[in-house]
Amino acid sequence: MAANTGQGRSFVIFLVGLTVACAGLASFSSGKGKLLLFVGAVILVASLLGFLKLKPLEGKPAQRPGPTAMKLVGAFIALFGWVLTLFGMHLVDSVGGRMVFALVGIAVSLLGLIYVLPAAFNKNAIWKT
Amino acid sequence: MRAIRLSGLCLCMLMLCLMMGSMAHAQAAAPAAAPAAAAPQPPSSADAELKGAAAKAPSTADLQKGDPGGTLTGTINDVPASDSKAGVTVPDVGNQVGQNKVAINFTWTLVCGFLVMFMQAGFAMVESGLTRVKNANHTYMMNFFVYGCGLLAYWLIGFAIQMGGAAGNANLGGLQPLASEHSLSLFGKTWGIFGGAGMFLSGHTYDVGVMVIFLFEMVFMDTALTIVTGACAERWKFITFSVASVLMGAFTYPIFGNWAWGAGWLSQLGTNLGLGKGYCDFAGSGVVHSVGGITALAVCLIVGPRIGKFNRDGSGNAIIGHDISAVLIGCFILAFGWFGFNPGSTLGASANGNLRIGSIAVNTMLAGCTGTFGAILYMWALKGKPDASMSGNGLLAGLVAITAPSGFVNTVGAAIIGLVAGVLVCLSCAFIENVMKVDDPVGAISVHGTNGLWGVLSVGLFADGTSNYGGSWNGVTGSVTGLFYGDASQLAAQLVGISTLLGFVFTFSFLLNLILEFFIGHRVSAETEIAGLDIPEMGQLGYPEFVFRPEADIFAHAPRDFAVA
Repeated sequence: MAANTGQGRSFVIFLVGLTVACAGLASFSSGKGKLLLFVGAVILVASLLGFLKLKPLEGKPAQRPGPTAMKLVGAFIALFGWVLTLFGMHLVDSVGGRMVFALVGIAVSLLGLIYVLPAAFNKNAIWKT
Repeated sequence: MRAIRLSGLCLCMLMLCLMMGSMAHAQAAAPAAAPAAAAPQPPSSADAELKGAAAKAPSTADLQKGDPGGTLTGTINDVPASDSKAGVTVPDVGNQVGQNKVAINFTWTLVCGFLVMFMQAGFAMVESGLTRVKNANHTYMMNFFVYGCGLLAYWLIGFAIQMGGAAGNANLGGLQPLASEHSLSLFGKTWGIFGGAGMFLSGHTYDVGVMVIFLFEMVFMDTALTIVTGACAERWKFITFSVASVLMGAFTYPIFGNWAWGAGWLSQLGTNLGLGKGYCDFAGSGVVHSVGGITALAVCLIVGPRIGKFNRDGSGNAIIGHDISAVLIGCFILAFGWFGFNPGSTLGASANGNLRIGSIAVNTMLAGCTGTFGAILYMWALKGKPDASMSGNGLLAGLVAITAPSGFVNTVGAAIIGLVAGVLVCLSCAFIENVMKVDDPVGAISVHGTNGLWGVLSVGLFADGTSNYGGSWNGVTGSVTGLFYGDASQLAAQLVGISTLLGFVFTFSFLLNLILEFFIGHRVSAETEIAGLDIPEMGQLGYPEFVFRPEADIFAHAPRDFAVA
């Protein structure tokens, strides 16, 4: 089906929801602000549900579902590398120690990015068949 | 009764005369500069000199004759006097000097922002030129619409998150309305997390200085967003691209932007932990390019490779772009815009060490040059041809890498940084395609992601300690100095920044786009992809008079090693 009026309408609703939610955040201290934020969030959810309804109508992409758990593990490893760097900054006081922690953190994040996630996404890749 | 009225009138006239006399005396003694001064002050020698200069200044009659040499225009006559009777005073001159400084800085920052905005045209040409003709309209439209999506999101909330706590920039008049950074106290230190002022640019942020910084930061943000469109070209649904771009402009970019530039915790690594001058990213190798490149990697993983990109044995096919002339002209437009990107990041051309703009511009130029050399020589020596698209990517890689260090390094450092970037982009393109099996049609992940990280790292290595932007950076006195010039702690701060980009920015982008994958789906249908996205997604061909060759015919003539883009 590709691009269609349903998508366009849902996108308009999404933008209206975001604008109303932001207006609510901008005046959050007032009662009106909280109400606007709530209304905006409801409109945003409605737009996402609109997108979800349209999704099956748009044809099958050249993709096969991969292992979701492995994808989340890859993302978690990438995030864990950052957390390691953050804690390293407070665990040691020396510049060298902090640098080592940062390097280890970077290496862990790269493991998730370069190894685990591509492996997860390529496991059932359509080009393999 | 009449006598009483007459005497009252006389009394009023007498009082009026007395008041006028005293006012005239006050104006002569202490004019507008100190209208509330109780005691009249004698005219200072400076005031007398100003009056002398005013007397010597060309008259209206002189100016009516014309000023072909430019020697009569721009004199004390052009300094507005707060009190016309008293003439120009020292406080008037002081106010004018202050306004001139801010005006120069406003003008400089705005014009540089306009240059950066024009980079969108360069990105559109590069990305579309590197894709197939059947997807040209779609790729151009993504580059066109990303500007609007990003701008809207940034105006709504992104700017407030990023710069809402960034008050204190003397170049732009202080930006005092932006004094709302939300912080977190951890381990006895206060760390900035996100800003709060500036949503819709309303309230106190309806301010001349805030408007200038908004425009400049907005075009930087849009640069980051447009990086993703190239990496995901030829198979990204237009609707998902639109929503993803709005969310990136609203949240992903501004959060890291705040941490690095908006008084956030990365910029406080120097004041809180003594790590150099905190995370230093002069013009955005990390904030703009790495955020864009890393988000591109996250979306590319989700959206998957194009049909026909990889063979069953995992080897890659080069899918050649349709217009190399657009690619190279686009690269030149980008290189031109980069003179707004880097020198403009001083946020001023007057005061506080801002005369370094010349050095920054030359560093930018040199790194682009050596980046081109690095890529051309690598390809020529190892692959046999000075590949055109990789040459363009070499230029861009050099420019991306010098973006963070441009304000802190000398020309030799800039040349080395650019040369390394030129080679690195070739290696990174090959690695991402051949090892990771990620399909990036334009090489955006390598150009912006990999070389953005290299740029951030190079600050910690090559910063020579000679820059002096008002005597401090990120609140730490002194100049930014890298490992090669004696400060290892700066390198540690840069590594923390890199870890944040790889760990936080990637994961945040990945999860955000995984949610969009669930609700909307990133990829077009196989049928649409094979037909080309122009008609199904945009309803119109980019080049309606072109005759398409069968795809198999194109692959037969493509080089077999790696797809250089």
